[in-house]
Amino acid sequence: MYASRNIRLCNKDCVCLFVCPTGATDTETGQIDRLTCVDGCRVCVDACPSHAIHLVVEHYPEPAPKPPSLAEAMMALCERKSEQERTALVIADAAPTAGTARIARALARSARILAEDCAREAGYMIPQCDATRELMGRIASDHDADIRTIAEQLAGGTALTR
Amino acid sequence: MPHTAALAAVFSNLSKAADKQQLFETAERFARLSALFPGTRPADSTLESLRAEVARDVDRDYPALQAAGTEAADRGVLRAVKWGEKVSTAQRALIDRYTAKGDDLLNDKKLFVCEACGFIFLGDDPPEICPVCKAPSARFSTVK
Repeated sequence: MYASRNIRLCNKDCVCLFVCPTGATDTETGQIDRLTCVDGCRVCVDACPSHAIHLVVEHYPEPAPKPPSLAEAMMALCERKSEQERTALVIADAAPTAGTARIARALARSARILAEDCAREAGYMIPQCDATRELMGRIASDHDADIRTIAEQLAGGTALTR
Repeated sequence: MPHTAALAAVFSNLSKAADKQQLFETAERFARLSALFPGTRPADSTLESLRAEVARDVDRDYPALQAAGTEAADRGVLRAVKWGEKVSTAQRALIDRYTAKGDDLLNDKKLFVCEACGFIFLGDDPPEICPVCKAPSARFSTVK
């Protein structure tokens, strides 16, 4: 687990610079240097007065199981919200006024965020879970070469492994 | 297994999840994958037809899902349903207000969307805290 700084919360107290044994917190980019950060050290996390540093977890558990019927119902709503996003995008493209286009783009963005939340609660919470691996296996034989390539890249590395 | 219609959102959500884990290459790959599933654009698309779809979710789908989530004691589903129902209700109200007043509703106001829950806000500045999910104003994006 490596330290990461949320630059929005950072008050530039600079206590993390004082406590870091390797100087990983002192960089010109505002980000903590992962190459020199000590795995699991967390001294800067505890020392930061503005709670701006946290540890990034590297191994994630399988999400809590859901009854299949409930996951399917959430996926059905994900599909409906996805359709609504596309409806809103068509409205935006054919909008008679700039105002209508703006309203429609807001509705499209909103619908996408709702669809994503449904996908999460339908079991596709993180890349490193059974549902995602199964889905990636399915699209690995897609007719579209670009889709197959990305599916192979994702399945070939450690992106989907716990 | 999700239908193709939902895959853009499934993959953009996984992209966000990877981004939050600071797995930026994985995030970028899921984002590209999401763009490769644009879905079919519906022919009959008016604000009126969209309103009917949103109203159906508010009146039928969310109450049914709330019952199912309660039955299964799934707090995650109940959270998503609570936020989704509020956001959808606000979507419907926005369509109704815009249908009644037209571009006068917007004037020189801006439209903001909460990137955490989807809540749409019309005003000069985003709310300090999202009324639906309590995310801070920095989580709101401005609709161009």
